Amino acid sequence: MATTARPHSDDPVVQRPNVPSANVRLPAVRDYKQVDDDVLATLKPTLGWFAALATAIFCLLLGAGAWIYQIYEGLGAAGYHPPVMWGVYIITFVFWVGIGHAGTLISAILYLFRAGFRTSIYRMAEAMTVFAVMTAGLFPILHLGRPWKFFWLIPYPNWRLLWPQFKSPLVWDVFAILTYFTVSSTFLYIGLIPDFAVLRDRETNPVRKRIFAILSLGWRNSDKEWRHFTRAYLFLAAFATPLVLSVHSVVSFDFAMSLVPGWHATIFPPYFVAGAIFSGIGMVFTIGIPLRKWFNLKHIITLNDLDAAAKLCLFTSLVVGLAYLTEFQIAWMSGNKVEQQYFWNRLFGQWAWAAWIMLICNMVLPLSLFSQKLRRNPLWLFILSIFINIGMWFERFVIVIPSLSHEFEPWQWGGYAPTWVDYFILIGSFGWFFMWFLLFIKQMPVVALAEIKEIIPPKMRGGLARAHQAVEHGGMASPQNNNPPMGPGAHS
Amino acid sequence: MSGVLANFEHLDSAVEAIEELRQKKFMDITAYTPTPRHEFEDAIPRAESPVRRFTLIGGLLGVTFGYWIAIWSSDYWPLVVGGKPIASWVPYTIIGFEVMVLVGSLATVFGLFALSRVPRLTMTVGYDARFSSADYGVWVATSPDRAAEAAEVLRRHGATEVRDER
Repeated sequence: MATTARPHSDDPVVQRPNVPSANVRLPAVRDYKQVDDDVLATLKPTLGWFAALATAIFCLLLGAGAWIYQIYEGLGAAGYHPPVMWGVYIITFVFWVGIGHAGTLISAILYLFRAGFRTSIYRMAEAMTVFAVMTAGLFPILHLGRPWKFFWLIPYPNWRLLWPQFKSPLVWDVFAILTYFTVSSTFLYIGLIPDFAVLRDRETNPVRKRIFAILSLGWRNSDKEWRHFTRAYLFLAAFATPLVLSVHSVVSFDFAMSLVPGWHATIFPPYFVAGAIFSGIGMVFTIGIPLRKWFNLKHIITLNDLDAAAKLCLFTSLVVGLAYLTEFQIAWMSGNKVEQQYFWNRLFGQWAWAAWIMLICNMVLPLSLFSQKLRRNPLWLFILSIFINIGMWFERFVIVIPSLSHEFEPWQWGGYAPTWVDYFILIGSFGWFFMWFLLFIKQMPVVALAEIKEIIPPKMRGGLARAHQAVEHGGMASPQNNNPPMGPGAHS
Repeated sequence: MSGVLANFEHLDSAVEAIEELRQKKFMDITAYTPTPRHEFEDAIPRAESPVRRFTLIGGLLGVTFGYWIAIWSSDYWPLVVGGKPIASWVPYTIIGFEVMVLVGSLATVFGLFALSRVPRLTMTVGYDARFSSADYGVWVATSPDRAAEAAEVLRRHGATEVRDER
């Protein structure tokens, strides 16, 4: 969305780029109408979509069935036994919270940094965030022996002697995840309001028209509304930016605040945040590349956008790789024998296979993105994204299981083997996530119409040259335009 | 409310029409645009959006409540451990921060809705469905005796349709 940020210049050609327009061109998009036609054409359900939705629901039912069995049998059905009392559920919880982070990075942080390539992919990334957090939110409940007592997790004063403990990372988690879910959903909905107005105005079915009228809140696209909208959007992005950093830091505190070898490290918050963003970008490729092909959106989600996202993926992979190596360095230099033994065990012990999957998928394979040819190859990006998803799930496996199974005293050491219940619930979580995502993409535009329109030249009676000038400079170089500049930066 | 509504296919036509209307002392003008454009901000000067005040007040209320709820409940249900302080501000900063973001964001949205006058239950006069898709609109609120003058300016600048609305 355009901002009111302005430079201080008296030059009639004011350097004031619209936010998403920087260095982004969509040469194959002619006008606003084409944007509406092409994007809204994706809302028509197809046979392939029904098949995908049926598959997602089938996976969800597998998970639901396994959960019912677990409630009947108890948590032992999920393979928990001392010393490993956190297993696949906590691993998958952290995995899904992490997936959500790239959505906020792309929609909010890249918005503040004026990264134009975000425009075409931010809507699907933000939707991914909301559904990923919804999926993550299931796991603390799945982890309960009596899930109907889930509200005991919420810290509120009561007379059951369950005292609120605000010094506990698990309570911080409740606040962080609920705030993250609320703010992400709000950010997604606010961005959708102008697009709901487009749907309302184009819809001919009276029932659907009424639904879109309610969802659009009577939005009219007036300059007065946009004035408030652009400011509110900016402030929401400014709030979401530190929030995204805080949420995975708080998740990392679940581990780092304990004294368990491999967990008790100050590197955990930045390590978790970088990993979360890396895994989320992987998931953006996993869902975005097929959508780009099936929805014929190659002219809107361009190779340049994929190239830029791939560079971000490579950068976060390098940060994650550095964090992996730093963990070993810290253990080596600590002089702590338990810590050193743990990290030796990580590479060459009982769980070495998982650690090597993690290192190869997250550190080695993404190095291929140094090649521009591969960065611009959607097929390779899709294949790589699958490896990144696998690698990042195993990263959480490597964090959780080896530490718990290999603590301080050798008599405490033990093993862990996930059962079919764990695997079915893992599959069910993917079913739950993709069910919501598939329903979303057929009800709401998967690309933000208003923001895409901002980066294509508007229709000008004065011709295309003037239109391009308007896109580049955020305003026409009109000799009649003598109004004083407005906005917070106008006189600063 | 009465006035003249015009539909434009071209951005520069709409902006130039607004500039001339303002020179002719038509001051109550609303522009409709499918996407926010700085050209309209320049053509129709308006005060800075006060949404930021809602954000600030919401954020301050949130951070205050976050710290307060943690400190109050620690004092009310004290967990005395090894002589450590019952209310410990370092971990409570996490609660304060999260609640600040939550309340600040919701207050921002409330501010947006209140200032934009949404939800709006009915579409009042002065709107056309084309304005959300590809065209630009200019609504000039004016008395019936000056409507013809405004319509003439709008037509001269290339409006594809001009209509009186009451």
